Amino acid sequence: MRAQFRTRIRFILAFIILVTVLIIARLYFVQIVHGEDYAQKADRQFASGGSGLFDRGSIYFTRKDGMLISAATLQTGFLVALNPQTLQDPETAYRAITTIASSSMSRDVFFAAAAKKSQVYVEVVHHLSDQVGQKLSALHISGVQVLRERWRQYPGATLAAQSIGIVSYGSGDTLAGRTGLEAKYDSVLSRSGDSLYKNFFAELFSNVGNLLVSPKDAHEGDIITTIEPEVQTRLESDLAKVNQKYSSKESGGIIMNPATGAILAIANYPSYDANVLQNVDPVLLGNPLVEHVHEFGSIMKPITMTSSLDAGVITPETTYNDTGCITVNKATICNWDLKPRGVIPMKQIIVQSLNLGAAWIATQLGQDAFRMYFTNLFGQETGIDIKNEGSALLGNLSTTQQVNFDNMSFGQGISVTPIQMIRALGAIANGGVMVQPHLVSAVRLNSGIERKLDWNKKVPVFSATAVRETAEMMTAVVDEKLEGGKAMIPTMSVAAKTGTAQLTDGRGGYYKDRFFHSFTGFFPSYNPKFIILLYTNDPQGVQYASETLDETFLDLVHFLIDYYAVPPDRGLSDHGVATSTSSG
Amino acid sequence: MHNFHYPFHHSFTALCSGVLAILAVSYIGLIAVVMSYAASTIEFSQSVRNDESVVAVLEAEYLSAVAQITNTNYAADGYAVPVAKIFVPAKSTTALR
Repeated sequence: MRAQFRTRIRFILAFIILVTVLIIARLYFVQIVHGEDYAQKADRQFASGGSGLFDRGSIYFTRKDGMLISAATLQTGFLVALNPQTLQDPETAYRAITTIASSSMSRDVFFAAAAKKSQVYVEVVHHLSDQVGQKLSALHISGVQVLRERWRQYPGATLAAQSIGIVSYGSGDTLAGRTGLEAKYDSVLSRSGDSLYKNFFAELFSNVGNLLVSPKDAHEGDIITTIEPEVQTRLESDLAKVNQKYSSKESGGIIMNPATGAILAIANYPSYDANVLQNVDPVLLGNPLVEHVHEFGSIMKPITMTSSLDAGVITPETTYNDTGCITVNKATICNWDLKPRGVIPMKQIIVQSLNLGAAWIATQLGQDAFRMYFTNLFGQETGIDIKNEGSALLGNLSTTQQVNFDNMSFGQGISVTPIQMIRALGAIANGGVMVQPHLVSAVRLNSGIERKLDWNKKVPVFSATAVRETAEMMTAVVDEKLEGGKAMIPTMSVAAKTGTAQLTDGRGGYYKDRFFHSFTGFFPSYNPKFIILLYTNDPQGVQYASETLDETFLDLVHFLIDYYAVPPDRGLSDHGVATSTSSG
Repeated sequence: MHNFHYPFHHSFTALCSGVLAILAVSYIGLIAVVMSYAASTIEFSQSVRNDESVVAVLEAEYLSAVAQITNTNYAADGYAVPVAKIFVPAKSTTALR
């Protein structure tokens, strides 16, 4: 019995010794054979004095088919740092480095760094590719460290740059989102830095709860935007063409789904390349479509019209006598061409863009009702998910002078942000209900859960009847007026309105020869999938928005119809086949 | 006087030795596993990041191609704007091509 027990003990001991030998062998390989590699990797994380490699969540565009394309991600590569105290032959080191990384490093920068003998760590070149970094690392140059690094990369470069935002150090020593979505969703995108390298057993013994359900995983993740990259590209391209053609100060545009508030494209020209920020004008870093206010001019008329229709003070059949000019509170208000139209119905106010007509229906509406509608539409920020949203300048709503209300009725004397403007106009395209514009549809958490964001805050402002009547008038603008009626698409109803506002001179008056052009439209007119707002600020050598932005608007309409294969909503033959001629 | 002999004297010593040996080996094993785990985690995470970088490069190429196509002046390349467009019901196979 005892002999048998002893045999078992020996067998177990032999097994333990065998396991011990294996473990020691493994430790030998980890610590001795590969020890230097791991030591170097550890050094790479700590030698730079940082808390490890930069880590941050991604931002995605969403293509029409649902595929996600990175708008902001991380790029991995190498940096080169010197230890001037151990760098013995700077000239040889410089030659060796530039042989591989030829154009990445300035000679002056390198030798200035090498001369800092009191320091032990000076970075001389960043963002080397993986291939170059590996080659440099293999050289083992004394006093030269080749360290892995990660940095923020924007694959689209200029694409939606002002909305995506940037990451920078700011005034502190921490990289964080400073503008756009990078700033708004910084708490989701930022990482604590230890998630990739946490010690499983240390976590197990110290905080088993965090290991199983990490609280960070409940709020850290990636964000998915509603921006469609090809639509965004088209909008940016068109805006650049307009801006360059008319030497405008700036041009902007938004394309939105009026039913949901999802923004498909939002752009301003000029913008910047988010990957090259060294020489960017700080003024460009914000988002002017959200932050800046403008007097939009006649694209305000459909809102005045809808308000009056909704209030019941007019109907589409109501007529008025247009005299060309009127005097209100000692101020003269005229039509854009100073010409009288005589007795005409309401539709012509929109089709011919008559200031007197807008002023007339504002008078019919009355100051209190006008104030109520415009306060509902513009009195609050839209709540879009971009920081620093601007507020409308509605001071004239608080006055009692009728001339101020007359001016506001056709978009002068009232300043709103482009995002507020498209939100208000979107109510006409969405059965009278204002939606909340937004750029992010969902957050994809590290836990793998995709959390849809709630953007269902809706504000009813007009009746469905009133908005349909206005939509009919705006559709007539395209069918009858735009490009002399040639812009009409036989198989698609498109509602639109142009706007031309005089620019303020900063002294309480307006320039007579400097303008702000705007253009809005939606289609299909009676069940819109898209609403577009465009503007160009201070275009040169041209007076009316119908001359500057109609081509851009129509290009975007045709592009969207083709790209999304929007089915015809009119012009169908008995056989269900629609034929049309097109201006392209 | 009865000389009491603990019946498991030798077994107990052997048991303690065995447990001690197991604990020692487990301790060393734990260290080895932790080190291997940490090394693997670093390798895997770096591998993921490298792949993400490669994907980002491809995405940049895609977006650049989209921009290039958008900015192409087809008229200058000899293409003409269609004079007519015909909308065909989706049930037609022609529309699906």
